[in-house]
Amino acid sequence: MHFKFIRIIAKQEWLSIFRIKTPLALYSVLLALMLLATFTGWQYVNTFNKQQAQAREEVHDHWMNQPNRHPHRVAHYGYLVFREKSPLSFFDFGLDSYVGNSVFLEAHRQNTVNMSEAGFSNGMLRFGQLSMASVFQLLIPLFIIFIGFQTIAGLKQNGVLKILLCQRASYYDILIGKTLGLAAVSWALFLPLLFTALIGGVFLLNGNITPQTGLNIGILLFSYGLYLFIISMMVVAVSALSSSGANSLVVSVLIWILCFVIIPKGAQTLGNYLFQAPDKIAFEHSIEEEISKEGDSHNPDDPHFAELKNKTLKKYGVDSVQNLPVNYGALVMQEGENISSGIFNRHFDQLIKTYKAQNSIATILGFLDPYLAMRNVSMSISGVDFETFSEFQKQTEHYRFNKTKNLNEIHLTQIDYKNDRDQKVGQSNWQQMAEFSFKPFSLSQTMKNSLWGFISLILWTLSGFFVLQYISTLRKYQL
Amino acid sequence: MIFNNKVWSLEVKNFLLGNTVLWGFVSLMLFGLYGFFHGNNVIERQEQILAKIPSVQTAHIQTVVEHGKGKTVGSTAYYPFFYTTNPPSPWAKFSIGQRDVNPFNLKVKMLGIEGQLHDSELTNPLTLLVGNLDASFVFIFLFPLLIIAFTYNTLSEEQESGVWKIVRISSSHTLSVIARKLLIRLAVVLLTSAIVFLMGMIYLSLPFSLPSMQLGIVLLCYVIFWFTLALMIISFGKSSSFNATVLVCLWIFLCILFPGIANIIIDNKIPVPEAQQTAIKQREGYHQKWDMPKKPTMETFYASYPEYRKYPIPEDKYSSGWYYAMQYAGDVESSESSDELFKKLEQRQNLSDLFGQFNPVIAAQQHLNKIANTDLANHIQYLRSVKRHHKSLREYFYPGIFQETLTENLDWNAHPKYEPAGYVTASLLSGIVSMLLWSIAIFFTSTVLFKRNFIHITDKQNA
Repeated sequence: MHFKFIRIIAKQEWLSIFRIKTPLALYSVLLALMLLATFTGWQYVNTFNKQQAQAREEVHDHWMNQPNRHPHRVAHYGYLVFREKSPLSFFDFGLDSYVGNSVFLEAHRQNTVNMSEAGFSNGMLRFGQLSMASVFQLLIPLFIIFIGFQTIAGLKQNGVLKILLCQRASYYDILIGKTLGLAAVSWALFLPLLFTALIGGVFLLNGNITPQTGLNIGILLFSYGLYLFIISMMVVAVSALSSSGANSLVVSVLIWILCFVIIPKGAQTLGNYLFQAPDKIAFEHSIEEEISKEGDSHNPDDPHFAELKNKTLKKYGVDSVQNLPVNYGALVMQEGENISSGIFNRHFDQLIKTYKAQNSIATILGFLDPYLAMRNVSMSISGVDFETFSEFQKQTEHYRFNKTKNLNEIHLTQIDYKNDRDQKVGQSNWQQMAEFSFKPFSLSQTMKNSLWGFISLILWTLSGFFVLQYISTLRKYQL
Repeated sequence: MIFNNKVWSLEVKNFLLGNTVLWGFVSLMLFGLYGFFHGNNVIERQEQILAKIPSVQTAHIQTVVEHGKGKTVGSTAYYPFFYTTNPPSPWAKFSIGQRDVNPFNLKVKMLGIEGQLHDSELTNPLTLLVGNLDASFVFIFLFPLLIIAFTYNTLSEEQESGVWKIVRISSSHTLSVIARKLLIRLAVVLLTSAIVFLMGMIYLSLPFSLPSMQLGIVLLCYVIFWFTLALMIISFGKSSSFNATVLVCLWIFLCILFPGIANIIIDNKIPVPEAQQTAIKQREGYHQKWDMPKKPTMETFYASYPEYRKYPIPEDKYSSGWYYAMQYAGDVESSESSDELFKKLEQRQNLSDLFGQFNPVIAAQQHLNKIANTDLANHIQYLRSVKRHHKSLREYFYPGIFQETLTENLDWNAHPKYEPAGYVTASLLSGIVSMLLWSIAIFFTSTVLFKRNFIHITDKQNA
C-alpha cells in the first residue's frame, strides 16, 4: 500500500466527480428531498407531540378534577396514556407509524395500544415514508452508484487502467483510492447536512440538547459515515468486477434492489414463518385458561380464593368476612389482579420474545445486507425501534398495575365491606398519584440493542478491504 | 417490410437469445411464485383464525351464562364478548393491502362501542413496516424493472456497437425497424405478465369472474403505461447508461418519492385528532354520569328508545337499565367526533385517489386493493357494520335488562348473528382512464421524439 498513490487517486476521483454536471443535478434533487423530508418530518413530530401533550393534559385534568368517588369506580375510569415521539424521530420514522399511539389503562384488563397512523392510512404509507433517514439509507447509496459505477470499469474501457498499472501504483492502491474518493465526496456532500439537520431539529423540538441526545447524534453521524464508506466500497468492487460501465451499472442497481427491497421483505417473512406468533384470540384464550386454573376471583367456589378467605380470617382471628377490619372485596380484587397480571406479563414477555426472534433474522441478514444493519442501528439510536415500543408497553402495564394496586389499597382500608357500593372517598386520594411518563432507554441499553448492527457495519468495512485486496490480485479483473 | 417474416423471426431471435430475457423472465416467475405463496400464507392464516371464532363464541357465551345463573340479565350482560369478522375476499391473496395492519376481527361488549372500535390485532410492527411481497407488489414494483431491463438498450446498444449505422443504410424504413424491435419487446412483456397472472389465478384459485377480470385489466393498463414510459426515454436517442439511469430514477420517483410526498401532504392536510378525542369524550361522557342525577342520562336514552320509559329507574340506587343508559350516553356524546373521524378517513381516500390521477403507480395499487377489498374504505365499511351489529345486540338485550329477567330465562344463543359486510365491486373507470390517458400522451410524445431523433437527424456524426 502506498498512501501517496491512494491520496492522489482519491483526489483525482474527487475532482472528476465534481467536473461533470450529472452528480450535481442528482445532488440538488437529493438536497431538495432531504430538506423537504426534514422539514415535514420535523413539523409532523412537532404537531403530533403537541397534540399528544394536549390530550395528556386534558386527561390529567379530568383525573384531578374527579369528584369524590368509590375507588373501584376510579379504577374503571382508568387512565389514557398517549405515546409521544422520541426527539430524533423526525429524522428516522422507524416503526412509529405502525405502532399504536394511545392505550387505555383500567382495572382487570390489559388493553392493546391502539390508533396507529398506519390504521388511518389508505395504503399510501406502504410505499415507504419519506424521511431523512430513508433518503440516507436508500437514495444516497443509489447516488453513489450513479456517480461511481464507471469508476474502474470506465478506466478499463478507455485503457487508462493499464497505463496506471504500468506505473508504480498497485491495483489495490487504485481500488482503495477510488473508494476513498467516492466516500469523501459523499461525506462532504451529506454528513454536514446530517449534522446540521439533527442538531437544528432537536434544538427546535426540545429547546435544548441533552448530553445523551448529543451523543446519539454523534453515533448516528459516525455510523452513517461508515455506511456511506461501505456502499462506496461495494460500488468500486462491482465496478472492478465488470467489463463495461453499462454492466457495472446494471449489476449495482440489481444489488440495490436486492438489498433494499427483496432481502428486507424476505427476512421478515422468513422470521414470521420460523417463529409463529400467536394471534390475539389464541393469546387471550391461553391467558384466560391459565387464570381460571390458578384462581378465578369471579367464581365463588374457586379453591384458591377459598384458601385466601380461610387464611385471612385466621390472620385477623374472626369468623366471617363481615367482621374483618379490612374490606375483603378489595383483597379479593387485588389478589385477582396479582394473578392475572403475573400471567399476562409472562405471556406478553413470551410474545415479545417471539417477535424479537422474528426480527432477529433481519439482524442476522445484516451481515449480508448492510442496509438492514444500518436500518436497525438508526432505528435504535433514534428511539423508534421495536425494543423502545415494547418498553413503552411494559411501562404502561407497570403503571396500570401500580395504579390499580393503589386504588385497591384505598378500597381495602377506607371502604367498609357493608354497603360497599354506596360509599365514596375523597378526591385527594388519587390526586397524589404520579402521572405517567415514559423513561427512554439509557445510552448503554440503546447501544446493547444496536450492538449487532454495529458489529455488522464494522465487519462489512473490514471484509470490504479484504475483498478489494482479493479482487486486485486477480488478473482477469485488471483487463 | 414490416410484414417480412424472415426479418421478424431474426429480430425475435436476436432479442430472445440475449441473457436479459431469460434472467428477467425466470426471476419474475420466481418472485411471482414467492408472492403467491406469501399472499396465500398471510390470508390463509387469517382464515384459520376466523374459522375458530364460532366455537370460541359459543363456548364463551356458555361459560358466561353458567356463571350468571340466578343473577339478572343486566348483571350478566356485562361480561360476554361478541365477535365480528371481516373475512377476506378471494382476491385478498393477490393484494393484501391494509389487511395486515387493520384488525380483521373485533370482539365487542354491550358497553360503549367507541372505546372498543379501534382495538388492534397483535402484530409485529417491523413486519408491517417492511410490508408484503405479494402478487400486487410483484406487478406494481418489479414488473416496471423488467420492462426497463428489456427496453433500455433496445436501440442504444446497436448504436453503441455500430450496428445501427448499417441498419440505417440498409433499410429505407427506419421507423418500421424501430417499431418491429419495440413490438417484439412489448409482446414478450405482455406474454410474461399474462403467464405470471394466469399462474397466480391458478395458484391462488381466483374465481373466473368480474373482479379477476378487473385485476387483469388494471395490470394490463399498468404494464402498457410503463412500456410507453420506457419508449419515451429511449426515444431521446441517448446512451444505454443514460436510459438506464433515467428509467431507474423515474421508477424511484413514481414508486417511492411521489407516494412519500403525497403521504406527507395527506397527513398534513387531513390530520385525524378525532381518533383520540373520541376516546377521551366517550370515557368522560360515560363516567361522569355516575356522579350525576340519573334523570338526564335516562332522557338521552329515552330519546332513542322511548319504549323503555315505562320501567322505573330508582334515583337513589344502582340499576342495570341506568348502567346501560350511561354507556349509551357516552357513545352519544362521542358520536360527533366519531362521525368526523370516518368522514376524514373518506376524505383521505378521496385525496389519494386524486393523487392516483397523476401517478399510475398509485392508481394501480389503489385499484388492486379496491378490487381485493383490502383498502381503508373496506375497513371503514367493516367498522360501520360492527357499529350496526353492536346496536342490534344492545336492542336484543335491552328488554331483558329493563324487565330484570333472570339470566337462565333468556335465550342467549338467539342473539343477533353478525353478518359480514360483503364484497363491494370496485369501479375502475377513473383509474383506467387516467392510466390510459397518460400512456397515450406519452406514446405520442415518443413518436414525435423518435421521428426527430432517429429519422430526421441533423447530427449526422451520431446517426
